[in-house]
Amino acid sequence: MASREVRARLRGLRWRPIGRATPALDDLDLTIGAGERIGLVGPSGAGKSTVLHALAGVLGEALPGELSGTVHVDGAVGLVLQDPGAAVVAGRIGRDVAFGPENAGLPRDEIWRRTRHALDRVGLRYPLERPTSALSGGELHRLALAGALARAPGLLLLDEPTAMLDPEAAAEVRAAVVGAIDGTDTALVVVDHHVGPWLEHLDRVVVLGPGGRIMHEVSPGALHDGAAAGPRDELTRAGVWLPGVPPPAPLDVPASLVVPDAAGPEVAVDGLVVDLTTRGLRGRTSTRALAGVDARLPAGRLTAVTGPSGAGKSALVAALAGHLRPAAGGVRGAPSRDARSRELARACGWVPQHPEHGLLALRVRDEVELTGRRLGVPVDVEAVLGLLRLDHLVDAHPFRLSGGEQRRLALAAALAHRPGLVLLDEPTVGQDRRTWAAVAGWATAAARHGATVAASTHDADLVALADHRVRLGRDPLGSDRATSPGGVVTA
Amino acid sequence: MTGTTGVVGALGRVNSLVLVTLGLLGLVASLGVRDLASAGVALGACLAFGLLLLPRGTGPAARFLAVVVAVASVAWSTWLLGGHDPTVAAVAGMRIAVLALPGVALAPLVDPSGLADQLGQRLRLPARFVVGVAAALQRFERLGEVWEQASRARRSRGVGPGRGPVGRSRHAASVTFAVLAATLRDATAMSVAMDARGFAAAHARTWAEPAPWTRTDTAVLALGAVAAALPYAVLVVR
Repeated sequence: MASREVRARLRGLRWRPIGRATPALDDLDLTIGAGERIGLVGPSGAGKSTVLHALAGVLGEALPGELSGTVHVDGAVGLVLQDPGAAVVAGRIGRDVAFGPENAGLPRDEIWRRTRHALDRVGLRYPLERPTSALSGGELHRLALAGALARAPGLLLLDEPTAMLDPEAAAEVRAAVVGAIDGTDTALVVVDHHVGPWLEHLDRVVVLGPGGRIMHEVSPGALHDGAAAGPRDELTRAGVWLPGVPPPAPLDVPASLVVPDAAGPEVAVDGLVVDLTTRGLRGRTSTRALAGVDARLPAGRLTAVTGPSGAGKSALVAALAGHLRPAAGGVRGAPSRDARSRELARACGWVPQHPEHGLLALRVRDEVELTGRRLGVPVDVEAVLGLLRLDHLVDAHPFRLSGGEQRRLALAAALAHRPGLVLLDEPTVGQDRRTWAAVAGWATAAARHGATVAASTHDADLVALADHRVRLGRDPLGSDRATSPGGVVTA
Repeated sequence: MTGTTGVVGALGRVNSLVLVTLGLLGLVASLGVRDLASAGVALGACLAFGLLLLPRGTGPAARFLAVVVAVASVAWSTWLLGGHDPTVAAVAGMRIAVLALPGVALAPLVDPSGLADQLGQRLRLPARFVVGVAAALQRFERLGEVWEQASRARRSRGVGPGRGPVGRSRHAASVTFAVLAATLRDATAMSVAMDARGFAAAHARTWAEPAPWTRTDTAVLALGAVAAALPYAVLVVR
């Protein structure tokens, strides 16, 4: 490794984002050799994404703040972000991938040669004219990867490339990455909460600690299942998921914070058909999200709603939360689309997939109190925030919180008024072990104390905690109950 | 008109720069609306243009409702404040229709990448500006999704819209603010993604596709210019 030519080097890097008192990275040194594959792990908020942003040269440019130290990178850089939807710049896949080569000022035939080659390497074998809006989550990740590869990067940077995907789509994205750089001297830096499946493809794992300092540099073997303790234990305590380490015990949430005023409802879903309509400049597109779903959610149980991407898990949860009008069939025991806001809130707590959509107040304390105050239900804010380890942030603005903190706050905001029906949409996606334990603890405690709880998820550890399952479409996790698959039609 | 293809639905075949120019010609024509005669001619030309050249089933029909509301409110307030003169009110309303109809009718046909190609290669506008506009247009449809999520969260938290108009407009304001905040966060993520693909350092950018100009483009643009000149012609002739 020492004999490799240097592809990128960070030296004495210090970065303080605008509006923050302490630096996110402090005196960081990192050298990456040509063709070297590095995994970057660490607890939430350690600055893993920031290291990728530094290597991509966007600190101080697209992201404002104070930067010192040196960044040196040989050749082009490709960066794939966690939310690939945020990176789409064109309406057709060919034109989107061509964006990098266009910026490089290449002649037209070379642009299209590279575009076709990049799409081929990630296995997106659609016509170049295919609308980007017609791609699934996993396909969007592969499109973003193709967009990065079309620049012929010497250094490829991946930020949580599989966090939002089901296991099947995640495996496809990993295979696309490995296949695309195999046999090239492209260096790779990958940040992933679940580093396990990447280990066999990596040369080195860099462990970041709080404040953006490098704690360890270890060989991937040291993190494998069965390797000696040491860094494995330390990382597990810091909240990082490692292969072979069982999930943490769910947080012990006391009854007083979750017990509903009345027992949770017995929910019955019969022949539910839901169409989702998106309105845009070009008109309305209607997609069938649920095509005749039958399911039961028993009171006092945690029901896992599983199924592959696109099977309609989120749509079922949103329908149970009273946000979608059935095209046919119906739901008993859950609020309807016509329920008034307060009735709805009293009956049902809904934790949306993206926590930032569920945050409405200007201070963490107000966020937790808001719904309880509207409904006249007392909320023990101190106890809730203490339990979720947000007590040091009571007066902070919700949008200043880290991803894991926002997730825990959104959970408390939606559920602190102790509703009888608790609905969670993909609540553990991309979370470290600590936040996972908080989410799992709240959901199981609410069920244990009488609430009807349902979570849409593709997280096998969360499914294992559930005592009832509803499966949509084909599901690799297995289940005791099958329902009709969600089909997709476009009008 | 072009010999090989028909006139009907020709707007579906013209390039995005022509579409945007036609939208702006609506502004030019509306300035020429001074009296009932010029208003009638301009609006008639506008409607004839649309009925003849707009492809069937373009975009959501509901968008024309916005024009109807705008026309009605301007006509009503003009009648109220302008001495209860129905002619003045009608002219004011029709002027708004001439101003807004072309843009509203043509917006669904604009292809962001195609427009960027025209602005960058034909008009030689700065690439940074042009590509930014195209990326923003391309993301327009995400707004609806964010709006939906933000209003669902409010409803689930017990702070959804009340029954009355005050409650509803307060709710709309709060959701609008949430959408704006989400758009800003989105814009940051997008500029990171674009810069990481070499956009920041692109000094001599090239274009993956040409910006074609056909005889249909010329013909439709000429026809549009004539239509926009009609209200002025009426003023001169009378």
